[in-house]
Parts: sequence; structure tokens; C-alpha cells
Amino acid sequence: MSEPVLSVRHLSKRYGDGAPVLRDVSLDFEAGEFTAILGLSGAGKSTFLRCLNRLVEPSGGEILVPSAILDREGGQIDVGKFGARDLRRWRRKVGMIFQQFNLVKRLTVLENVLSGSLGYTPGLPSTLRFFSSADKRRALLALDRVGLLPFAYQRADSVSGGQQQRVAIARALMQRPAVILADEPVASLDPKLSLAILDLLRKVGQEDGITVLVSLHVLDLAKRFSGRCIGFAGGEVVFDDAPERLDETAIRRVYQARTEELKAYPIPT
Amino acid sequence: MSTLDRTAELVLPPPPRRAAKVWALVALLGLILAWAFVGTGFDPVALVQGVPKMIDMASRSWPASYSLVVDPSAYEFPHRLTLEQLLLPVPLHGDLAYVKTAWWQNTWPNTLLGGTLQTIQMAVAGTVLAAIIAFPISFLAARNTSPDRSVYMAVKSVNNFLRSIPDFAIGLVLISAIGLGAFTGVMALTFGTATVLIKLFAEAIEGVDPGVVEAVQATGANRLQVYSFAVVPQIMPSFLSFVIYRFESNIRAATVLGLIGAGGIGELMTSYFRMFQYQEAAMTVLVLIVLVMIVDFTSARLRKLVI
Ligand SMILES: Nc1ncnc2c1ncn2[C@@H]1O[C@H](COP(=O)(O)OP(=O)(O)O)[C@@H](O)[C@H]1O
Ligand SMILES: [Mg+2]
Repeated sequence: MSEPVLSVRHLSKRYGDGAPVLRDVSLDFEAGEFTAILGLSGAGKSTFLRCLNRLVEPSGGEILVPSAILDREGGQIDVGKFGARDLRRWRRKVGMIFQQFNLVKRLTVLENVLSGSLGYTPGLPSTLRFFSSADKRRALLALDRVGLLPFAYQRADSVSGGQQQRVAIARALMQRPAVILADEPVASLDPKLSLAILDLLRKVGQEDGITVLVSLHVLDLAKRFSGRCIGFAGGEVVFDDAPERLDETAIRRVYQARTEELKAYPIPT
Repeated sequence: MSTLDRTAELVLPPPPRRAAKVWALVALLGLILAWAFVGTGFDPVALVQGVPKMIDMASRSWPASYSLVVDPSAYEFPHRLTLEQLLLPVPLHGDLAYVKTAWWQNTWPNTLLGGTLQTIQMAVAGTVLAAIIAFPISFLAARNTSPDRSVYMAVKSVNNFLRSIPDFAIGLVLISAIGLGAFTGVMALTFGTATVLIKLFAEAIEGVDPGVVEAVQATGANRLQVYSFAVVPQIMPSFLSFVIYRFESNIRAATVLGLIGAGGIGELMTSYFRMFQYQEAAMTVLVLIVLVMIVDFTSARLRKLVI
């Protein structure tokens, strides 16, 4: 078995001195794996994903990645111990997709995609929003991949929600990512667009060998797209297996529903 | 039993007893008003007695001295120079060059038109300089972009303190330090405007969508790149709007600073009043009214454009 891209070891998180949001989470992710993260609202899905690129600081545990990802020699290194510079070098290998797309509305679609290369171009020109023609070419290719080339010079807020999420995916691809973290990427989209976006994520993940972690709250979508489902409940991993193995007991464990509730609102299995 | 029938059974809450409080408040207000009037020596008799004097002054201001603007003699063009030599950047020798410089520096700013333009120049220079200074500092004064909490607190409280110093006081200090003139006025405007802009800019920065900031951070961007991509585009419209608005108020502020001798149309106005040249003073007031109206109008238009 190949060395995992991400090894999460005993990860824990509490905000301030509140109750723990993540308790002792240990998980491995292989290169190119497409994993759905399931759980009720408040289960800790976002916190988990955001710990991985340290948008949220973990309270304990390790996030181990191969040194090669920072172009270094040696074995695995702990993301939690990275200084500011190494953290930026790690983040540039991790694309992030948000529920609210989080594009810079007043910049063009192309500029938004180009922002995906900022981690590689720390100098003054990119800060002043000047990019090399090679970077621009790459950004246009990324836009072409998500089918939005004709919109390159439009303002980001002039395109539809589904298109904005495609721009966000192009921005992530611009990072030449090893991992993509998608936090409820389709929760603001209608069912048809949801399918298209998840399909696109799966496709680019397969083509580029990117490890994709997607949090979802629609069970159907998780079953349909993922090769692996992880269920969070109360900050703990309560399910980690192939989607076919998500039977009624497993679902009840993830959604902490009592049998009567399941009968009243049957969860499609 | 219908719901209507049940109203009889309802225990109504007692109506609030407001009357006593209201009267106490009215009495208090009356006392404060009396205190204010007594303290300022309210004197309607003096006001009435002053009416004839006011009428006299108004009649002596009438008609306003239009020649101050339209009559070429008001500009005291040096007869040794042609109009082209005076107005265009043509090469001149010794004496003539001296005459030209002297006219531009001493005569032109003291004409009504020159003074008006100088007031506009003061407002432009002061506002733009202040915006350039305030822009980087405001990032330190905003909670979400300041590199450190202590930096944020320090910059913010120093700025709050400086902002509480009235423009007028700064003008007086600067006049005693660097002398009378438009440059002093510009410095006073810059100071007063920068402190206000820092506060307004910082508030705009604190209002940006944090999700966008996170998204750019997540690409591995450094601090300046995050500012440039996630913050600046979001705040640009409010920045421009604040700057234009401050330009508008700085036209007035520049006039007031002129009254204490810091150049421009305000300085002309005081000197006309002091020399009892009421027709000239009236003309100055008219020009000022027109200027403020034009600036208000265009600035409102411009601000609509940027938002
Ligand atoms: N920034 C925060 N500060 C304090 N508590 C937070 C913060 N973010 C999330 N939480 C809490 O952590 C728990 C898990 O939240 P989250 O990770 O967003 O769950 P999910 O994404 O599964 O809905 C919730 O109880 C939430 O209230
Ligand atoms: Mg969430």
C-alpha cells in the first residue's frame, strides 16, 4: 500500500474552553481517494476539514503529510508544527471549496482563478495583481476545464451560483493541489447543479490524482459519488467504510436518530 | 366558546404610568435650556437694536462687487508682460521672469478667482495626501487585518486621540510653527482628514466578508496578497466614497482655515471684512456659495458612480 497523502492522528479540537468538537480523530487518506464526510449539523465536519489546512488551529494530535509535498527529503512531517512559511507551502497544495463559493466578487473570473497561484508567487507583482503570461495561460486552461472559458473577463458576481462554484474549483486546480477540501460545496445549489458540481470534483480528482474530501449532508449524493464515507457524530468518527455498507444501523449511528424518528422520516437507504 | 367571548376573562396588564416621568423630563429640559441661554448672555434687545446696523451693512454690501471677478484690472496684470508670457510656460529672462514669479506668487492668490482656486487646490492636496497616508495605516487599525492585537489597540487609540483635536487648533499650532499660508492650510487639512479616514477605512475593512479572506488565505497567499485580493476589492467603493465626501467637507474646512490666515478664499473674505470693503466681501461670499454648490453637486454624482 502506498504512503497516505494525509494521516490524521488523534486530532482533537475545542473552541476556547467549550466542549470538544473533535475527539481523537484518526484517519488516513490515500492519493486520489474521493471521500464523503457525513454528519448532522454541528457534528464537526467543517472543523475537521478546516483543521487540515489550519484555517482552524487543532488543539491536539497530528496531521502527517509526506515531506515531498513541501519538496523536501525525508518521511512524514506534522502540519501542526509548520511555521508561517511552511504552512503557506502546505496550503498551496490544498484547494478549498466553500458552500458560499467565497469568490472575490468585484474581481474578474480570471483574476479569481489566478489567486490560486498566489502561494507560488509571493513577490510584489502578484500582490499588485500582475501575473506572468504562463500563469494566465494556466488559469485559462483551468477555466476551460470547468467549462467557463467564455466568462474569463466577466466580474465574478455576474455569473450564476453554479458557475461561481466552478470558478472556485478552477481556483483550486490553479493551486496544483494534492488535496481538495470541499465544505458543503453543493448546499447552496439546486439538485441538478449539485450533481454537476460533484461530478466535476470527482472527475478532476480522478484525472489529476487529487485526494478529495467532501462534506455533504445529502446521503444520496454521498452514496452516489464517493468511494468512501466517513460519518461524524459528536466530534467522533462513527462510520468509515464503503458507501454500500451504510445500512440502517450505520445511518442511525451517524444521524443519532431513534427508530421512531427514522420511521416518521425515513432516510433513503 | 369563541375567542371573542374570552376577552372578558383576560387580565389586562396595567397601563404604564407615564405622566409623572414625562413632566419630570420636560422640567429638566426646561432647566437645561434656561441654563444654556443664561450662560450665553441671551439678549434679544441687542439683536433688535442691531437690526438697523445689519440693514446698513447689507445696503453697503449691495451690489456685490462683480468687477472683482470680471474686471481685468482686478488682476493687476503686470504691463511689462504680454498675456501669453504670463500664462504660458515660455522662457523669460532675469527681470521679466522675476515679475512673472512675483505675480503668480503674490498677486494671483489674492484675486478672488485665484483665491478660490487656491482653496480648491488646498482641499485636493489635503484630501489626497490624507488618503495616501490613511490607506496603509487603516489596515493596522482594523481588527481583522492588524498583524497583532496590541498593534490594533495602539494604532486605534492614538488615532482616536489625534482625531479629537479640532482642525482649527491644529491650524493655529501649524501657523505658529510654519507660518501663514496655503501650505499650512494643506497640512492642517491633511492631519484632520487622515485621522477621520483611518477610522472610516478601518471600519470598512472590518466589514469585509471573512469567507473571502479565508478563501484567499487557503490558497497559501501571504498577508499582503490577502489584503490585495480579498480586502482591497471589497472596500474600494467605500474608500472612494469616503475620500470624495471628505473632499467636499474639506472645501468648507479650507475656507474656515483661510479665516485664520491659511490661504485661499477664506483669507480674502476676512481681509475684506476687516477693511470694511463690504461689496468685495459680499462678492466673496457669493463665489463661495457657488463653489460649495458645485462641489456638493459633483461629489454626490461621483459617489453614486463609484458605489
Ligand atoms: N469558530 C467557532 N467558535 C466556537 N465554536 C464553534 C466555531 N465553529 C464551530 N463551532 C462549534 O463547533 C461545533 C461543530 O461545528 P462545525 O464543525 O461547523 O460542524 P458541522 O460543519 O458538522 O456543522 C458546533 O457545535 C459549533 O457550534
Ligand atoms: Mg459545516
